[in-house]
Amino acid sequence: MAQVILAASECDVVNEVICAPANVNELFEFPTIFTIGGFEVTRTIILMFLAAFVAVGILYFGLRKQQLVPTKFGAAVEGMVGFVRDGIARDVIGPEGTKYLPYLMAMFFFLLVGNLFEVTPLINFPITSRMAIPAFLALVTYVIFMFVGFARNNFRYLLDTIWPKAVPIGLRWLVGLIELFSIFILRPITLAVRLFANMVAGHLMLTLLLTSGVIFVAAIPEIGVKGTIGVFWFGLGLFMFLLEILIGVLQAYIFTLLTAIYIESSIHFEH
Amino acid sequence: MEGNIEALVGPLSLVGYGLGAIGPGIGIGIVAGNAITAMARQPEMQGTIRTTMFLGIALTEALALIGFVLFFIASAG
Repeated sequence: MAQVILAASECDVVNEVICAPANVNELFEFPTIFTIGGFEVTRTIILMFLAAFVAVGILYFGLRKQQLVPTKFGAAVEGMVGFVRDGIARDVIGPEGTKYLPYLMAMFFFLLVGNLFEVTPLINFPITSRMAIPAFLALVTYVIFMFVGFARNNFRYLLDTIWPKAVPIGLRWLVGLIELFSIFILRPITLAVRLFANMVAGHLMLTLLLTSGVIFVAAIPEIGVKGTIGVFWFGLGLFMFLLEILIGVLQAYIFTLLTAIYIESSIHFEH
Repeated sequence: MEGNIEALVGPLSLVGYGLGAIGPGIGIGIVAGNAITAMARQPEMQGTIRTTMFLGIALTEALALIGFVLFFIASAG
């Protein structure tokens, strides 16, 4: 790969029990491969385009031919598309959820592929662990639900948030303040940070456990019995590997679900 | 090392994250536990309950994850 992360020479196997990098940033930053018109293209950017192409490819090849009895791959893709359409768009937003389906579908598949890059052999890097990608997607979601909110409810969207009619008059300023802070500031931030932090935590844990396992087992001739701790780290790493598959799928689902819920709360504003 | 506050920043942010993880841990336990109770009581509502459970977990978990990010910011600064 582009650089050797956690080189065996840096790890002090005699005194430490687990290999930790001096600075975690080096697990997430890659050197520039080439430059196009001022944009420095790194491995992350290439993987981002790859994720987009894979997502489009899955949908194109899965749904290219509409057959009465679909192929196995086609049935699987149809199942996922049906899940986003019925389980997220129509269940949460209601009948008019179909209008927002293209956005939700694109986001779900892009995030699914991007998150599962974490456990894909030879890639092993979740692109969503770089803040730019979740932050941009959260920003797009923010613009959409703000636009829908103001388009559907005019300025009552802002006014009723600050001055909610359903609350007793003495408490309106307090509830209004909390709601304003929560809807206009906290929502997009937590949406982005949730995905980002989950993926960072997963990538860190997998890298530390699996590389520590390999390094310690490789050092058994030098340090003797203590090296067998590597077997434990590697086993734990394999367990986390399975857990990360679940987390990757779950976070893609939760990001899409929350987007749908935010859009819904802008459409049906009067609670 | 005497009077060196800088050396404490890393360990202290670790303790801070540990404290910050307590609340969301309890919260996720309550959400999941009650969801299981509800599913056992009304298995026909399973789909709706599961969606709501994931939503509740996601909202609760955000606090722990913000603590996780702040840990890196604090220990790096």
